Amino acid sequence: MITWSKDRAEAAQRILGSYPERRSAVMPLLYVAMAEYGYVSEQAMRDVAELTGLTPVQVSSVASFYTMYKREEVGRYLVSVCTSVSCHLLGGDDVLHAVEAETGVPHGETGPDGTFSVEHVECIGACGGAPAVQVNYELIEGVTPEKAVELCQWLNATEPDPLLGDEMQALFGGQRSFDWGPSESTGSKGPVPAFGPYSTAGTDRLAGP
Amino acid sequence: MKILTSRMDAHPSDSHTISRYLATGGYRSLKKALSMEPADIIAEVKASNLRGRGGAGFPCGVKWGFLADVHPRYLVVNGDESEPGTFKDRQLLERDPHQLLEGVIISSHALGVNHAFIYIRGEYPKPARRVQQALADAYASGYVGRNILGSGFDLDITVHLGAGAYICGEETALLNSLEGRRGEPRLKPPFPAVEGLYGKPTIVNNVETLSNMPWIVENGGAAYAAIGPEGSSGTRLFSLSGHVRRPGNHEIVMGMTFGELIEDLGGGIRDGRAIKAFIPGGASAPWFTADHLDVPVTIDDVAKAGSMLGSGAIVVMDETTDVVKAALSVVSFFAHESCGQCTPCREGTTWLENMLRRLTVGQGRAVDLDLLLDVSDNISPGLAWPPRQTTICPLGPSAVSPVLSILTHFRDEVEALVTTGVSS
Amino acid sequence: MSERVTITVDGIPLEVDAGELLIKAAEDNGTYIPRFCWHPRMKPVGMCRMCLVEVEGPRGILLTTSCNMPVSDGMVVHTESETVKKAQEGILEFLLINHPLDCPVCDRGGECPLQDQTLSHGPGESRFVEEKRHFEKPIPISDLVLLDRERCILCARCTRFSDEVSGDPLIEFQSRGNNTQVLTFPDEPFASYFSGNTVQICPVGALTSKPYRFRARPWDLEKTESTCPHCSVGCSIEVHTSQNEVIRYQGVDNDDVNWGWLCDKGRYSFESVNSAERLDTPLIRNASGQLEPASWPDAMEAAATGLASIVEAHGGNSVAGIGGARGSNESAYAFGKFMRTIIGTNHLDAQLGDGLDPHFLVGSTPRGVINDLDTAKTIVLWGPDLKEELPVLYLRVRHAAQQGAKLIVIHPRRTGLDDRATFKVVYKPGEGPALLNKLVEGDPGLAEVRAAINEGPVVGLVGRTGLTEDPRLAEAVAAFLRELPKATLMPLARRSNVYGALDMGVSPRLLPGRVSSASESGKAALREHWGSLPDDFGRDTIGIIDGLADGHLKGLVMMGSDPVRDVPSGNRAAEALSRAEFVVAIDTFLNDSAAAADVVFPALGFTEQEGTVTNLEGRVQKVTQAAPGPGQARPDWSILEDLAHRMGGSIGATSVNVLFKEIVTVAPAYRGLTWVDLEFGEGRDGLVMPLEEGDQPIQYVAVDPGLAPTKAPLALHSARTLYDDGVHTRFGPSLERLVGAPMAYLHPDDAARLGIPDGGEVDVETVQGSARVQVGFDPSLAPGTVFVPFNQGIGQNLGSAVEVKLEVVS
Ligand SMILES: Cc1cc2nc3c(=O)[nH]c(=O)nc-3n(C[C@H](O)[C@H](O)[C@H](O)COP(=O)(O)O)c2cc1C
Ligand code: SF4
Ligand code: SF4
Ligand code: SF4
Ligand code: FES
Ligand code: FES
Repeated sequence: MITWSKDRAEAAQRILGSYPERRSAVMPLLYVAMAEYGYVSEQAMRDVAELTGLTPVQVSSVASFYTMYKREEVGRYLVSVCTSVSCHLLGGDDVLHAVEAETGVPHGETGPDGTFSVEHVECIGACGGAPAVQVNYELIEGVTPEKAVELCQWLNATEPDPLLGDEMQALFGGQRSFDWGPSESTGSKGPVPAFGPYSTAGTDRLAGP
Repeated sequence: MKILTSRMDAHPSDSHTISRYLATGGYRSLKKALSMEPADIIAEVKASNLRGRGGAGFPCGVKWGFLADVHPRYLVVNGDESEPGTFKDRQLLERDPHQLLEGVIISSHALGVNHAFIYIRGEYPKPARRVQQALADAYASGYVGRNILGSGFDLDITVHLGAGAYICGEETALLNSLEGRRGEPRLKPPFPAVEGLYGKPTIVNNVETLSNMPWIVENGGAAYAAIGPEGSSGTRLFSLSGHVRRPGNHEIVMGMTFGELIEDLGGGIRDGRAIKAFIPGGASAPWFTADHLDVPVTIDDVAKAGSMLGSGAIVVMDETTDVVKAALSVVSFFAHESCGQCTPCREGTTWLENMLRRLTVGQGRAVDLDLLLDVSDNISPGLAWPPRQTTICPLGPSAVSPVLSILTHFRDEVEALVTTGVSS
Repeated sequence: MSERVTITVDGIPLEVDAGELLIKAAEDNGTYIPRFCWHPRMKPVGMCRMCLVEVEGPRGILLTTSCNMPVSDGMVVHTESETVKKAQEGILEFLLINHPLDCPVCDRGGECPLQDQTLSHGPGESRFVEEKRHFEKPIPISDLVLLDRERCILCARCTRFSDEVSGDPLIEFQSRGNNTQVLTFPDEPFASYFSGNTVQICPVGALTSKPYRFRARPWDLEKTESTCPHCSVGCSIEVHTSQNEVIRYQGVDNDDVNWGWLCDKGRYSFESVNSAERLDTPLIRNASGQLEPASWPDAMEAAATGLASIVEAHGGNSVAGIGGARGSNESAYAFGKFMRTIIGTNHLDAQLGDGLDPHFLVGSTPRGVINDLDTAKTIVLWGPDLKEELPVLYLRVRHAAQQGAKLIVIHPRRTGLDDRATFKVVYKPGEGPALLNKLVEGDPGLAEVRAAINEGPVVGLVGRTGLTEDPRLAEAVAAFLRELPKATLMPLARRSNVYGALDMGVSPRLLPGRVSSASESGKAALREHWGSLPDDFGRDTIGIIDGLADGHLKGLVMMGSDPVRDVPSGNRAAEALSRAEFVVAIDTFLNDSAAAADVVFPALGFTEQEGTVTNLEGRVQKVTQAAPGPGQARPDWSILEDLAHRMGGSIGATSVNVLFKEIVTVAPAYRGLTWVDLEFGEGRDGLVMPLEEGDQPIQYVAVDPGLAPTKAPLALHSARTLYDDGVHTRFGPSLERLVGAPMAYLHPDDAARLGIPDGGEVDVETVQGSARVQVGFDPSLAPGTVFVPFNQGIGQNLGSAVEVKLEVVS
């Protein structure tokens, strides 16, 4: 029995309808389930299995292949620091250490109060603005260790919701990969990527009408 | 000469909107294409000599020609861009999504496709938002959907988000991912053009490749082919990063040397330092050194010099770089991103990573240098470039590139690490 | 015939089939290329990279995997070049760096491809000084299987088998890269009917089975090829024994039948062979009514006297025989000959009231074989849920459907094949005839199905969907299907050697060799060999039970049968047994029916006797002796011979060889067959005997009996499940735990209408009996249907009536 919120349940049906085969909906549905439960729980995988006609273990086989499907609870702010080569060359490791030190959360873990999860990630396509950091998948480029510390303090103090990439970039970022253009008012509402144009994570339309 | 980035350069505040797109000639090529025979469009693409921008550099028109005569067939846009150093597709998705959409619609019409997919990596929520907004607007304006612009041509486009797996950039892994499976590359043959998505003929093209289509249809394949040196026609968007003064994407006509690119466009090495090494085509590519600065930036010249232009990502390392640590960063990337199917890639990349890590923390042994080479040889037999691919996809052998590069160009530094435990 | 091409492997020119995989072509011609992930019955995945070879091509020498490389004419291949050796050593080293190398305590040690190939292709010293991957040591992933992830080399054989081959993907790769592991979902065990196959094909000791674990070391094993006796598919097996004890069965790749696969019931039934509950001494009912151990002579005397006195008083015609389907053809033949010539009765039956017309079962034309599935365009299954009743046939149908054959499944409930079916039609029991009419007449609602069925070759798999269905429906269905383009029919019954027993004439309507008992010439021919033959009408099992119950029959001989558990009205069978004046049982276990006998003889069972069996295609296969059997148990044919002797006659059963030779002389369909034919060469896969001119075997042409549908407000569907409460499950500790609890299933809408909650209790009542059970919901049922699994605690008491009533208890 699926107990998702009404708009998420509707989104699920829309998603299922936008592929020639049901199985294709596994990945977008995992995102919706992750938005519903906060992470990809066992129940989330059972739900997706039910919707797609797969067995739960087939769903977890897919879910566990991809690093963005978090199968454990994640903090309110998921801070992802890039340590791939371009960021590495410009001090990505130092940024990571600064974030770990400020939040007290080692990478790969979630702090006991559930505010921060910290991880180091592979290239997030912002190498021209290295070192790059994402918070709840919203990007900040050209981050120094000092700015990273301030970023964490700001998150803690102001609890921004939604979280806007442009705002963080203006406050804590530096060198960018390219001109970002006008600032946006759409952002993430939790440690789940905000894919849709119309806002909160997970329930947006992920496909054409 | 700019094809891909002219709109965003001229209109930084709204190049991504449909109104700006239409105001700057957008969807004009689509109208033209819809009045053309699909075969004629394909002929123009062939004539353009456009080579794929995803990494392999395969001639686009030739690939299209392989599409088997079976329906339904699919077009899949590869927007998984995850090769360290590469961020060009992100800019195209974010700043000019309609240009890509128009390219997709034109290509679908040419290929007889009624359902196209745009696969965007999960770490790109903003590009995904922009593309979806653009898609919604295109549907609303009748550029996508039923009976497009009264032509009788139907097309649906579905945006599919990745979820953190570099390997999904490999086209058959991407198809598996799109089918709701683990992103594991498939055995080839069959190639996607024969058996792709859902077992049906499928063309997979990179974001940048398809973003060229509106221009090619408007100006003709011959005009495109006339740009740049033979074998590397058209313009290309290069991602420059690392120790340069002005990192960023640069759309250039191919043919200048790496030295010129780094100096003139990148502003040279930061803090007035000297260059030590650079990766000419994304993390998979064997490294170049200062000796290679006069190699021309073309697909064929780079290949001749023993590396590849790959995804068009140039990562520059200055003289202060600890190359072992840099190599470790690249190797651990591949170890982390290996799908795990092939024994040598699954086991070997992690082994290499562990050995390099030991070296960087002063626990290297003299035997490790040859061991690194021999394990590399077992992953990529003969240590040839391009690799004699003995794995299902080239990811495994790619992990060997940095190891071989440092052992070829900076062996003394690696040896010093073993004897003194610290970088020289 | 496929085209032949010439390739050169290590300098030797070979002629092979075009398009065949190089690894297979080389192996068939004597060059074994090492491999881990490739399995001849599954699609290549090219993952382990062990099968690397060098192939000369236009662009130089290519190092490539041979498991996914089709051969082409002129291909030049090197399997032992320096480059190949170095590459293979490299792969082995990679596989071993994270391998625990605990061979001395591993079940696979001694028969492990990884161990073997390390010895022949591997590097010596380990150069790996890093930390190995660690996982919790063996974890149970089902009631039968354990998984040791440290030993796993990630070849994906197990995951592919369960996904591609058996269709229950319950075990899958998790995570990726160097963290990849095989695992089940929490709380969702690897509960597959076929899980044992993954243990067999796992190239290392990562998957082990509980029933075999630590039982023996491979080098102690003696191996004997045989045929699984547990259902009529007739899978080829290898019986492994150690110190005279059977310790496991392994599947053997029989190209015509099982392709190496077995179901878990067949595979793990070896435990019941070794059960301490096996009968090992004769028993006689004493003065106080108890069965007590007796000597063979005393038991023989008691049985012979008991039977003889009934025959004398009431005629041979007052004695009946039930059984014969659980043993070899030779035993069945001996049983039939004993009943007909020594007792003098035609009341004998190997089917237990679950069967179809015996003529239809063994004589249907055009009769198909399993391999027809692979060339069929269309497969129509209107019969049992194959996954439950004929498991490996289910795998073969699944494969055929996966390869593109259209599959139409018609059944009252969900079946294992539904996910592969092009069309699935569900109907309420009793309404089959109406559905068939619609199909025949091209009812618009079934137009698509009708159109699909029309494309030949068509294979019709026809049997009873359940025990309440009129057996004649299957004939009506067959009559329709046989007229379709290039149609062949496979009439289905699941009981082990029932086709063999019927071929041996253990039926009131048959004589040995597929000859009708009504055939005068057939009788005359048999009389020449047997001397006498009773002429009277014979009863089938249900008739025998009725006859015993109402006193028309007085005596009964059972051989390997348990009517109390096995007929659709078991309570009535129990009553019949208690009314009988004298009952003899020959069996391996003291089952519920044998427990009611006056004399019980301990028989040797499967793996303890030589002989032949016949599967559902009419394929004759060998079974072999691999172990001695318990205590004083004897072959059933020899028990019968002894009895005959004491009753003043003989059935000529001096040895099983002699019996077989008599069969091939007497039984037209078996004429000329020899054991040698079945043990060597092509015959190792069994032989479907051609019928020769001048014989009189039945050519049965199914006709539509014109059944009227039975209308019942609530209809009973009663069918077997794989793990029912039979002797092999009951007396095998591993399988016993898998037997389901007694249940009745309802469509949730019906349950709502009747006010029955999920898990509620009801009394299920039919004209024949009643039972109190828990209710479960099953939305796959046609509305108005109650499903009760047969012989799972209760089902056997409800009889075969369609109409059923439910009384809500709670
Ligand atoms: C390991 C690996 C990663 C790849 N990643 C990408 C990628 O992120 N984006 C991309 O467009 N192509 C990538 N490719 C190349 C694709 O397989 C494919 O060649 C390409 O999408 C075809 O498009 P094109 O012909 O337009 O270049 C990758 C290839 C490999 C082997
Ligand atoms: S080379 Fe590596 S990434 Fe590519 S298929 Fe093999 S294991 Fe997967
Ligand atoms: S458990 Fe055995 S069969 Fe399954 S992947 Fe591991 S080694 Fe292969
Ligand atoms: S399918 Fe039948 S013959 Fe085959 S293993 Fe199972 S019980 Fe034995
Ligand atoms: S290397 Fe850090 S964003 Fe690309
Ligand atoms: S056997 Fe060919 S790759 Fe495993």
